[in-house]
Amino acid sequence: MTRHLLGYSAVAVLSVAALACGGATGGDSETPRTAQGTPDLTGFWVQGADFDEATELNAAAVEDGGAGADDFIYISTARPCHPGQECGPAVNAERDPGILNGVNPNKPFYRPEHWERVQYLDLNGNAEDPSGFCFPLGVPRMGPPSKIVQTDTEVIFLYARGNLFRVIPIDGRPHHPIMSLDLAWHGDAVGTWEGDTLVIDTVGFTDETWLGDPGYFHSNNMRVVERITRVGNTFTWEATVHDPEVFEEPFTMDPVVRTLNANPMAQLQEYLPCQERDWQHMVSRERS
Amino acid sequence: MKQRIFGLIAAAGLLAAGAPALAHHSVQAEFDMSKTGKFVGELKRFANINPHPRWFFEAQNPDGTVTPFEISAGGGRNRARNMGILRSFKVGDTYTVTYAPAWNGANVGRMRDIVFPDGRVVTIFHADPNNPLDN
Repeated sequence: MTRHLLGYSAVAVLSVAALACGGATGGDSETPRTAQGTPDLTGFWVQGADFDEATELNAAAVEDGGAGADDFIYISTARPCHPGQECGPAVNAERDPGILNGVNPNKPFYRPEHWERVQYLDLNGNAEDPSGFCFPLGVPRMGPPSKIVQTDTEVIFLYARGNLFRVIPIDGRPHHPIMSLDLAWHGDAVGTWEGDTLVIDTVGFTDETWLGDPGYFHSNNMRVVERITRVGNTFTWEATVHDPEVFEEPFTMDPVVRTLNANPMAQLQEYLPCQERDWQHMVSRERS
Repeated sequence: MKQRIFGLIAAAGLLAAGAPALAHHSVQAEFDMSKTGKFVGELKRFANINPHPRWFFEAQNPDGTVTPFEISAGGGRNRARNMGILRSFKVGDTYTVTYAPAWNGANVGRMRDIVFPDGRVVTIFHADPNNPLDN
């Protein structure tokens, strides 16, 4: 028997199934609150209702019992051919996102003495981007968390990408006198509420992470202020980087919106170990 | 039973993701995506790792010798959709592999499609944007 499986329709079915069984929903619901009156950020947060691996995994579990199906679909991310989009050629697919990142008008404004280094890192991304060699993305490049557990005294951020976590006190304490001097990827974070917005102040960073693809480096005196505002079943994450050692002015990254996945079957996927095996075969140092 | 399985290629998820995959460099800087190579070989190891799943083969040469090949494919966000098929690879089985070769001539490649011993074909991607099998 010859069986043809068309990926588009399968993805559409999975996504619709996720919504039908209580998956990601919009932001028009009432914001849940804690006994203290602050918004409750607890939940499983995803990129969107139509293309999220956790949503699809949960939908698949509902559709076919979770395992054992012999209808396989291999979906690769090497080419822009998303449902609803026109397929583009695979040959240069990866160059395009890189170029888009480079032309984003929202850029950090570096002090003139660092311009040459930024340009060098941009042109040598394959060789210089620490994330290309299995180092963590670090704060703030890692973005918002995949899952949040909130108590009266702390918020716990879980990140699917890299099996990472952050435990952030929200009990009014100051930065830890020792940990805030560390040279770390996630730094020393403390959180406070400003109205309905959780504000997270983090210091104690290594200078070995980047802020973005086009060679956006920072010093180890960087301070990051993240702001998470939940409205209904969505939250907006914003991060501002303060680093007067290298920046002329604070750099605020593009905001990111996450949607609550209310599917009770939702679970984080284990992030596989990372092993860099490609660099030795690269013929270009330019990432995009 | 012969199954033919067509891949769906989607980069939009990566665009929306914001954060890059760890250890992900540039596919085009390593492989000539406009060319193809092909071999028949025994699977020696499958590594389910980031940033790319990898298959390690020994390709059989006419003179009886073998040539090692390391073949990778898209990873990360593809994994949830493909757990079943990734599990179905068996060390010791012989597969026919079509791949995009490395620019530097090394025996590494980017998987295009692979034929299982029972005739199933898993197509990872087509280079032709107008190929109706991708749509």
